[in-house]
Amino acid sequence: MSFRSLFVKIFLCFWLAAGVVIVALNVVLWISTASDPNPERRHGAFGEALNLYAESAVQVYDREGPQAFEQYAGRSRKEAGSEIDLFDGYGHPIAGPSSPDTAAVAGEIQQTQQHVSHLTPLGRLTWGRAVVAPSGKTYIFVTRLRQPYVPRHLPPMGIFLTVIASGIIAYLLARYLTSPVKKLQSAVQSFAEGNLAARVTPELGNRKDELADLGREFDHMAERIEALIDSQKRLLADISHELRSPLARLSVALELARKNSNEKAAPALDRIEKEGDRLNKLVGQLLALTRLESGAEKITPETVVLEDLVQQIIDDANYEAKPQHKEVIATHLEVCRINGSPELLRSAIENVIRNAVRYTPSGGAVEVSLRWKLDTAELTVNDQGPGVPEAELKHIFEPFYRVSEARERSSGGAGLGLSIADRTVKLHGGSIEASNSATGLRVTILLPLAPNHNQHDAGQPQAAFSPASLASG
Amino acid sequence: MIPVLIIDDDVELTKLLEEYLQGEQFDLSAAHDGPGGLEKALNNTYSVIVLDVMLPGMSGLDVLKQLRQKSSAPVLMLTARGSELDRILGLELGADDYLAKPFNPRELVARLRAILRRTTNSTPSAAMPVHIADLELHPESRSVTCSGKPVTLTGAEFDLLYTFLRSPGKIISREDLTQAALGRPMSPMDRSIDVHVSNLRRKLGTYDGNHERIKAIRGSGYVYLLPGEQP
Repeated sequence: MSFRSLFVKIFLCFWLAAGVVIVALNVVLWISTASDPNPERRHGAFGEALNLYAESAVQVYDREGPQAFEQYAGRSRKEAGSEIDLFDGYGHPIAGPSSPDTAAVAGEIQQTQQHVSHLTPLGRLTWGRAVVAPSGKTYIFVTRLRQPYVPRHLPPMGIFLTVIASGIIAYLLARYLTSPVKKLQSAVQSFAEGNLAARVTPELGNRKDELADLGREFDHMAERIEALIDSQKRLLADISHELRSPLARLSVALELARKNSNEKAAPALDRIEKEGDRLNKLVGQLLALTRLESGAEKITPETVVLEDLVQQIIDDANYEAKPQHKEVIATHLEVCRINGSPELLRSAIENVIRNAVRYTPSGGAVEVSLRWKLDTAELTVNDQGPGVPEAELKHIFEPFYRVSEARERSSGGAGLGLSIADRTVKLHGGSIEASNSATGLRVTILLPLAPNHNQHDAGQPQAAFSPASLASG
Repeated sequence: MIPVLIIDDDVELTKLLEEYLQGEQFDLSAAHDGPGGLEKALNNTYSVIVLDVMLPGMSGLDVLKQLRQKSSAPVLMLTARGSELDRILGLELGADDYLAKPFNPRELVARLRAILRRTTNSTPSAAMPVHIADLELHPESRSVTCSGKPVTLTGAEFDLLYTFLRSPGKIISREDLTQAALGRPMSPMDRSIDVHVSNLRRKLGTYDGNHERIKAIRGSGYVYLLPGEQP
């Protein structure tokens, strides 16, 4: 738990407040009583009453004899619950002693000539003092009070225990106040991670305060977002199906037309086919981009062996580039493990490499390198094309952005590949950047490495999971 | 005429295909939903079944799963472009090949011919059984046993294994493997051979626990390792 968390703050505030009050109160009381020079007065009215009690008991014995004293003591015991023992000036018992404690107290008084009070742990007070009777005789009076003796300030141990107890209460209070915040936080986190079904109200029980209101508002919001995303996903699937079905029919009809027509129609039919392909590609890219931007695309992260993925993409790109006398070369491939979706990463990197191939003149080569630094994988794709004017560099990742109308058309790009790459890389927590190099355009992709990146080369290939890593070994 | 069944909910498309395929000597029957297609596929004999993954009522993958329990008829899957997962699942469930929709009908014909070539030419009567380590492959019965236990392979997987076993220890490129196992040239971005290899690995298991039989060589292809020949 962070030291700056709400829980710690509330807990410390409560505890500090309670502790300060307890300590201050006791200090004030202690000062006011400890500074009083008269020891009897330290007990206040209670002390005065005890003094009177002692004097009257001694007077009864001194004036009226032992019998009257017994009566007096009996009444005391019955009505006030207190035992009275009387000793002579040398500490020898006259009446009592009712317990060895009182005898010990009498001895103490005889020696110190001061009044003594002992508080037993159970709150029983043994109190005594020497009393000079009117007759001049000295008596030692000791009483044991059943009534608990309430001190007006706590001993240090008591203060300590009270502070601990207030700490426990502060802890419980802080937990009561912050636990819904914690639950809300974990629900929001889970929602942000893509669990659109995350709700907080069932967790809060029947709480009915402002925090519970906040939880309900969150649930309300989550419900709306979930419904929106669901409908968007359905819409995407429907569009995908509805746009492609006519395209599928178109291509079959086209082939039928080709069979039933003569040579003259061939160029036009070729054109129809080409445009159909273009439309189809565009629909696919548009759907991919919409999925990425709407957040409907959910990554189930798995370990991606990036160097194998890149190598495969290079192999595939070479397959396509060879007929145009172009080449894709891996200049440097370092071992890189990252977490992400192999399919999405494949299409992102493929788009960047294909784009590079497109602008590289016949006979040229695209250079790809993969390195890692600290916790980042760096993939650079260098083409030998004409590059992009500096001012337009940052726009090339925008959908349908065209650097040069004429050139783009002849190269047949739809203008969405780099946008898809950009969104995909960002979805993986990375960044993508374009710059002009000595030979042409350089696109640099940075992706965070997986935490287990350094555990590679353990002998066995990573148990693999995707077509991307199937060829690893 | 070669009997072919297509299971696809797009009625107009199947009509067009029927007309087109007629010219290519295919006799196309159509079913427009999962249960109907499954019934037709099980009750008739077709040389190839073309199966769309997106079907109303019952998904194409479910149809394939149920079909494979009773029939080993070759299946060509139609998947949505970009839906890599459907392809992998389909191939894993025992489809022989896939084609992304919308497709060029010429490509469809080429794939159908490739599948037919494989399934009809695959009985070279004089072929000798191959025996490597614990593995035995009988070309005439198209059966495979591993440590004496029979292994059930799809047509493509059998052809792939046969290709490997004819040159064990040698690297075979993915292009050559695609040609040999699927009867067609590899197309760019084509991952089906990798899925078939992975299925084969899973079905055959490893040498004494942890040594892979088939190893991927980056940038080159795959190699079937002999026992003890571990890199």
